[in-house]
Amino acid sequence: MLGRNSFQFLIYALFCAGVLALPMFVEDAFLLNKSARYLVLGILAMALSLSWGYGGILNLGQATSFGLGSYCMAMALKLRTVPIHTGAEGLPDFMVWNNVETLPWFWQPFYSMPFALAAGILVPALISGLLAWFMFRGRVTGVYVAIITLAFLVVVNLLIIDQQRFTGGFNGITDLAQLELFGFEFDAYGASSYYLIAATLTVCLFAALLVTKSKAGLVLQAIRDHENRVRYFGYDVARYKIFAMSVSAAIAGVAGMLYTVVMEFASPTFLNVPLSLSVVIWCAVGGRQSLLGSTCGAMLIAGMQGALSESETFLETWTLVMGLLFVLVVLFLPQGLAGIGQRLVDHLFAQRARAHAPGTSARPATTPPSS
Amino acid sequence: MEFVSQAITGLSIASILLMVALGLAIIYGITGVINLAHGEMVMLGAYSAWALQTFVGLGFFASLPLIFLATALFGWVIDRVVIRHLYNRPLDTILATWGIGVMAQQIVRLVVGGELRYVQMPSLNSALQVGSVDIPIIRLFILCLSIALFALTWYLLFRTNLGLKLRAIAQNREVASCFGIDADRVYGLTFAYGAGLAGLAGAVVSPLKSVSPEMGTTYVVDAFMVVVLGGVESLVGTVVSSGIIGGLSGSIAFYFNDTIAKAAVLLAIVVLIRFMPQGLFAAKVRS
Amino acid sequence: MEQQHKDLRLDHVSVRFNGFLAVDDLTLTVKAGELRCLIGPNGAGKTTTLDAICGKAKASTGEIRLGDALLNNLEEHEIARIGIGRKFQVPSIFRQLTVRENLLVAHSRQPGVVRNALRFRRSEDSDGLDKLAELVGLRDHLDRLAGHLSHGQTQWLEMALLLAQDPKLILMDEPTAGMTAQETRKTAELFNRLKGNRTLIVVEHDMAFVKEIAEVISVMHQGKLLAQGTVAEIERDAAVKEAYLGSGGISDA
Repeated sequence: MLGRNSFQFLIYALFCAGVLALPMFVEDAFLLNKSARYLVLGILAMALSLSWGYGGILNLGQATSFGLGSYCMAMALKLRTVPIHTGAEGLPDFMVWNNVETLPWFWQPFYSMPFALAAGILVPALISGLLAWFMFRGRVTGVYVAIITLAFLVVVNLLIIDQQRFTGGFNGITDLAQLELFGFEFDAYGASSYYLIAATLTVCLFAALLVTKSKAGLVLQAIRDHENRVRYFGYDVARYKIFAMSVSAAIAGVAGMLYTVVMEFASPTFLNVPLSLSVVIWCAVGGRQSLLGSTCGAMLIAGMQGALSESETFLETWTLVMGLLFVLVVLFLPQGLAGIGQRLVDHLFAQRARAHAPGTSARPATTPPSS
Repeated sequence: MEFVSQAITGLSIASILLMVALGLAIIYGITGVINLAHGEMVMLGAYSAWALQTFVGLGFFASLPLIFLATALFGWVIDRVVIRHLYNRPLDTILATWGIGVMAQQIVRLVVGGELRYVQMPSLNSALQVGSVDIPIIRLFILCLSIALFALTWYLLFRTNLGLKLRAIAQNREVASCFGIDADRVYGLTFAYGAGLAGLAGAVVSPLKSVSPEMGTTYVVDAFMVVVLGGVESLVGTVVSSGIIGGLSGSIAFYFNDTIAKAAVLLAIVVLIRFMPQGLFAAKVRS
Repeated sequence: MEQQHKDLRLDHVSVRFNGFLAVDDLTLTVKAGELRCLIGPNGAGKTTTLDAICGKAKASTGEIRLGDALLNNLEEHEIARIGIGRKFQVPSIFRQLTVRENLLVAHSRQPGVVRNALRFRRSEDSDGLDKLAELVGLRDHLDRLAGHLSHGQTQWLEMALLLAQDPKLILMDEPTAGMTAQETRKTAELFNRLKGNRTLIVVEHDMAFVKEIAEVISVMHQGKLLAQGTVAEIERDAAVKEAYLGSGGISDA
């Protein structure tokens, strides 16, 4: 007989299997690319769900980690382009246009792909960790966390745009080489990239799920519920929150790197306020307390947006509808759409428990439930 | 004379900021709601000015009271329909008001179109000559208006019965209700007043800048910084911090560039929140 | 191995909130294994004293020690790890977690974050926690959301959480508030079983309850220690009568 945990694992596994199986039914390169993009955004939403849904940390600057990861990958891929795209003497084109003479020191290490991969995960994690340390050691909570993370995002965004000699400014870093790993080439419009992203999604989803099922995940939820009480049990609340935000940032960084692969560029739009706020909407609508819910919320909404992007009016109307849906969810459905699913599952399990209660036959109990 | 002109600009920025921040501070201070739709209220005020001028041919000054009432009504409706479900959920008020802001922007885009609109400068488009500097009359008007509104707000809060009730509720909503103060009605009025102030700000700023659906966003971020810096409990704090932030942005922008100025101000605010969450001007309260 | 038993000592402790003196030059010693009752009128500073011990409030002057360890400048979780547990006046359970999950959180022998990220619930001492749930009558509610419990059940859960934490010094703030007579009796039995192995400090208003469990009573008034002694001594004390008990003695209060 299936317990709740096993049931949950099964659902997650089915979802991942479905995602991985998609290329068998879809062959159009354009569609595959679009689907891959939505998967990446799903990973981003899942990262926020970890820190917001489970830890109660409303990180309005989740895009910071996403963007930093994407720039790390972009830098590495830029340095691998054929000389045609790099301008002159191994310098990226935008640097040449900005009269930069030599490659800056912080670009140099990105010649190494392993470094770039590590940086894409560790740089966001470290920076978020530092910000988290700054905030949570000072017992900043709730609303102020939202403000600070948002302000920080704006600062990073401004700096990246401002320092266009080193970062490509408004246009970002474009004309990238293809990603090559372990002898595989990952074509943004091919099944290879899709599989890479789908596999990463699966790994991250289950890793995050395991974290939520661990003792640390439980303590984190207790912190979300009643932060101050948790201290008196002996837990260093600041450390747990820093942990949550850093892990969340690392996952977002991974997503950022994959986004560069699938979009074939990196730009400040990956690091801006509208994106960061969109992630919040995806999580809220999908269900912030459910990793799978947030992932699906992102895929659904971004998907709809993509499908409607043909027509200007449709898109504007869609955004209006999204705003309305968001407000309704905040007001009446704090657990999002996943919450509805959760209630159904609870109902089914409760019914089954009653049917199997000692002393009754196989038919369900006729007395009304006590809760 | 560069300095004088720079000072005027800084003062002008500060006075606009004050009008926007005042409304936000009132709403946040009394109801505890963080109104991320505040920028859209500014935007709606600006569009109202444009609409009244273009379709009705109403003069600039004549339309101001109407705009105040219209945006006030908008604020009141938002409170009654949406916010009243969220009084106990501060984080969710951020989300909900932001959603409303998005909706407002979209509705404006769909109904009016997203192109820039322009409001004619009112008949006093000449400038005052002080020495060798030209001070646009409109900026003087904004300065005077902001001071007048501040004085009016101060008077309402500290010299009237209504203000007393507002301050009681800000301190302790439940206890105030026990004394017969209808918190719901008061919250609605507060929202209305704050929104009206924002609408006025948008209206008077509209001749200076172009009007677009997304113009509100910068205002809400800046206004929020003012409120955080000045401390929610102090009106004077709001004035002073408007001055500080207005002047600071102006001078940093003068020496570096706009981008660095903004980044610097934001970082300063972040540090401030961390070390002095009650702002610079909060009264000491027994914990 | 014998547990190191440690005395709790407050030495000239004052707690000041922006000018208001909530605790005024308090000197108090509670011996290891003792059950000390802290009574007094409202505003006497009893809760603030508990706050100062567990780290919720900062002592402005004086020293608080458990054995040799100085508690004054430690953070709340560090004080908790030394072995001090607190039950608050206001119900503070984790409403969105189940009863079982509440108990798991309280079982905080290993508080480190990284290690806990690698530990899963099966390796927890579930037998011990089941027994605890049985003890407080919540065995059948282990999978219920804590937010759905009744007020009395919530109080019991709080007690169970404290026991799961297994501190050497337990600070209780009005443990019987809202309890029926039967539940109060059950609590008294529990306390009497706990003392000796653990030290208990109980802030209470229910004098019948205090009589049942008290060994030594400390009476506070306006932040100061007014009197200290056994039940009989306190009942005879004139100053205490005037400030708190009235002429009828403890049973009348």
